[in-house]
Amino acid sequence: MFSVSRDYAPPFGMIAPFFIIGSIFFFVGTVLLLFLDPLHGHFDPMIAGWAHWFLLGFVMMIIFGAMAQLIPVVVEVGHYSVDLYYMIWPLLLIGTLTMVTGFWIAPAVLPYGGLLVLTAMLIYLYDTLMTLKKAENVTLTVKTAVAANLFLTTGIVVGFLLTLAIGAGVKVDVAWWLGTHAVLVLGGYVVLTVMGLSLILLPMFGLAHGFDETPIHRAFNLMVGGVLLHLFSTLIGFSAGRFVAMLVMLAAIAFYMRQVWLIYKVRARKENDIWARSMFFGYGSLLVAALLALVSLFADWENVVLASAWFLIMGFVTFLITGHLYKIIPFLVWFERYSPLVGKQKVPMLHEMYPKKMADWEFALSAAGVVVAGVGILLKWNDLYYGGVALLIVGAGFMLASVKWMLSFGKAESGE
Amino acid sequence: MCDITKEQVYDAIRNVIDPEVGFNLVEMGLIYDAIIDEDCNVKVVMTLSTRGCPLHQMLTQWVKDAVEMRVPGVKNVDVEVVWEPEWNISMADDNVKKALGAL
Repeated sequence: MFSVSRDYAPPFGMIAPFFIIGSIFFFVGTVLLLFLDPLHGHFDPMIAGWAHWFLLGFVMMIIFGAMAQLIPVVVEVGHYSVDLYYMIWPLLLIGTLTMVTGFWIAPAVLPYGGLLVLTAMLIYLYDTLMTLKKAENVTLTVKTAVAANLFLTTGIVVGFLLTLAIGAGVKVDVAWWLGTHAVLVLGGYVVLTVMGLSLILLPMFGLAHGFDETPIHRAFNLMVGGVLLHLFSTLIGFSAGRFVAMLVMLAAIAFYMRQVWLIYKVRARKENDIWARSMFFGYGSLLVAALLALVSLFADWENVVLASAWFLIMGFVTFLITGHLYKIIPFLVWFERYSPLVGKQKVPMLHEMYPKKMADWEFALSAAGVVVAGVGILLKWNDLYYGGVALLIVGAGFMLASVKWMLSFGKAESGE
Repeated sequence: MCDITKEQVYDAIRNVIDPEVGFNLVEMGLIYDAIIDEDCNVKVVMTLSTRGCPLHQMLTQWVKDAVEMRVPGVKNVDVEVVWEPEWNISMADDNVKKALGAL
């Protein structure tokens, strides 16, 4: 006997704030890019503040909201304690704002912001690991989720120590540990999480079957090995180890790109909707970011490092997130407002629940903005960078409007 | 003796639409079999286009509801989700393949 279980699906009202806040941070984050000067290099507190605004307020906020829905789906068990998510977004929101204030205005508050963010992450980690513990089928996606969350915790602890160094004068070599903080959070958490989820989501939305999974297993092992090698090399002060670790992580990305190509080749769904186009641009950006990172390993050019980070964050991570928002938000809204009506009245299809024209504008302007600004950073041509940022801001405005449109779909009819 | 036919069961399930792709489960090729016993108990054997589908539980419930509501005389309806053979696009009707760009 089956019963319609909503155990796997967290309440809409619980997840919606993650997407609303994340989208606002995304839009404001693109506006704040106007106040940065890429010629200042990545140790500039303005750039560090912006990076935390964008990565915590937008990237992490959206990932956490998406994970609230995706983790139970992936591991086929309900959350250990889904109510914990009510605490995560306020802590992350206040922590992020405090940290950014610390970077830009008052360094003394940085540790307090760091502590709030750390608390939000630990709560997220607790629920996630306790949920994963219930999984009977330990797939690669489950393994990546465990590894990614352990790296996230380590990365945030390192980050917290850095906030103590900057804000409270604790003796830590900030320049030496900053790279490892970025590797743990971006490589160890964001990229590993994307790898694990894409093994589920790319075949699901592309209707791809029967592909070889060897490359993703290699990518997972190499990425975990690379992040660990970087961490231990930092601990023992071994520069060559950090260099090799970067090469190992780039090899992981190469295998991951191979896996994405294998999935793409056998996809049954050939239509290039907003999701598919966002994936194309995102993976293209990852390729550019990886090539630039490779160059930067052999030549100490600050503009190449920044351009690599730009394409990784604004091209790859951002487009993978925005592309999936056009799938995830309509599904959440549909599940909340229309699934009880199935069989009783006509219900909309998911592709009817996002604004196609606005999404097209968002994609075109954002993609153009990423490329133009990225080239501007690479050529140290600030006018080009600011021109690209202007395009990106308009694109992000369309994204914000699209999110509002999707969240409001059917609201009037449902009497909310 | 039960006079419910497989065709009746399949016709009932044709009303269940996958909201992601917009096709019914029968034309998607997701329904593998409908077993009807002498007492008019029905067992539907089906698959899903992907493991980890967020609609897993809802789709199976909709199939059960559709058969119970639309097939006269049916008693118990059971829905079994299997993963062998694994679904692929060749199992779908031509109109689905064409719409998705797979033809």
